[in-house]
Amino acid sequence: MIQRDRKNYSMEITPFSVGDEVEKTLCQLKQLVVQKDCNGVKTLTERMVKDGMDLFSILNRGLIPGMLEASDRFRKGEFFIPELLMSSRALKFGLNILRPLIQEIRKDVLGKVVIGTVKFDLHDIGKNLVIILLEGNGFEIIDMGVDVSPEKLVKAVEKNGAQILAMSSLLTSTMSWMKFTIELLHAKGMSRRVKTMVGGAPVTPIFAKNIGADAYCREATSAPSVAKKLLGIEENGQTVFAE
Amino acid sequence: MSNTFEKAYHPKLLVLACAVMEREIIQFQNDQVEFKFFDYGLHRTPENMAKALQVEIDQASEENYDGIILGYGLCSNGIVGIHSKKKRLVIPRIHDCISLFLGSPESYEEQAKQHPGTYYLTPGWIEKGETPISKFNSYAQSYGEETARWVLHEEMKNYTRIVFIDTGVNDSEPYRKIARQNADFLGISYEGLKGSPKLFKDLVIGPWEKDILVLSKGQSVEQEMFLDL
Repeated sequence: MIQRDRKNYSMEITPFSVGDEVEKTLCQLKQLVVQKDCNGVKTLTERMVKDGMDLFSILNRGLIPGMLEASDRFRKGEFFIPELLMSSRALKFGLNILRPLIQEIRKDVLGKVVIGTVKFDLHDIGKNLVIILLEGNGFEIIDMGVDVSPEKLVKAVEKNGAQILAMSSLLTSTMSWMKFTIELLHAKGMSRRVKTMVGGAPVTPIFAKNIGADAYCREATSAPSVAKKLLGIEENGQTVFAE
Repeated sequence: MSNTFEKAYHPKLLVLACAVMEREIIQFQNDQVEFKFFDYGLHRTPENMAKALQVEIDQASEENYDGIILGYGLCSNGIVGIHSKKKRLVIPRIHDCISLFLGSPESYEEQAKQHPGTYYLTPGWIEKGETPISKFNSYAQSYGEETARWVLHEEMKNYTRIVFIDTGVNDSEPYRKIARQNADFLGISYEGLKGSPKLFKDLVIGPWEKDILVLSKGQSVEQEMFLDL
């Protein structure tokens, strides 16, 4: 186990069984993400990989719970945009180490996802976090950026043979474009083979259901498990952090 | 009963509004209306906004008001679930306060469609809210200049324009200057737009129709009321 300066661990730490070094280290990794400590996350992730710890445990029981807690704190008003972005950057440091190793094990990508922030909406912090997490979990991402029209999104799905279309919106005034995009997918007869998932701060499960989306992500951190469920991929006993 | 404010009835109304619109909305003060303003920071945490406003509404519901007016739009669902068991709630049917400053949801929509990457500033936002420069300074204080620069870039990289809305309530020149400084700071374009008091007037004085929702006693605010699906 890596010893670090105690003063870095002033935040509340999730209880763990005494003597369980693995749990303790995963818990530390989680806290390092919450504490936005990029180098700390990088060093500890490298060390855990070197020690032969299960890659999916590092991801799903260390890094992602850390990001989940950061997102929770953001929602409660304890974290603001800078803290959320910095935690997200710390998460990326860990995922950059894990991603090539996970790809080696998986060989094939889990699925192709076309993602974009909807028309007239420029916000991409949440979307970019979803991309980091999906890529880290073995999905191939086609990022269409922001302010993307239904036509462009549907065309990208068609061109790339994507199985999932993921859409994000931060404004209540642009949410309707998710509906228009799903309608276009239906009109083109693609809605059977392409699953849609939607998310973003103002999006609610009721809204997602009303517009005919196949899945709703309450927060970015639930995106990987939601995407796996949509494609019928088993979680292999991994912890699921869905809605 | 008509939604329209009836002068003969002499109702007492309470306006609960965001501090950024204080100057613009208070122009329509009269002896039948009282105002209470809330920190702009509530808009950053929609859950807290609903809680804070509900506490005020519950308190006001016990008093001798005839109705409660909200100086808030849907504000990222910040008012969803709000209700008054004993009073009517009067709310502008808008997504956020920019429609109020510009005078109508249509004016805002037109701007949003032409230039989706617009950061809007008004005298109230500059004085009581935040600007990209004030955000940068606050981030730099907490995390140092390098990190502040990175955070602000991540947050603002898709914005292409700063708009200053001249709401005509005070000498706009000093505020316009600050808005321009913000545009220069971000290296994006600047544009000045003329605001309109129409929607503020409709909200406080009436008529309560078209862009103004009147919720009956016990009715809760729902997201669907603001969407055109």
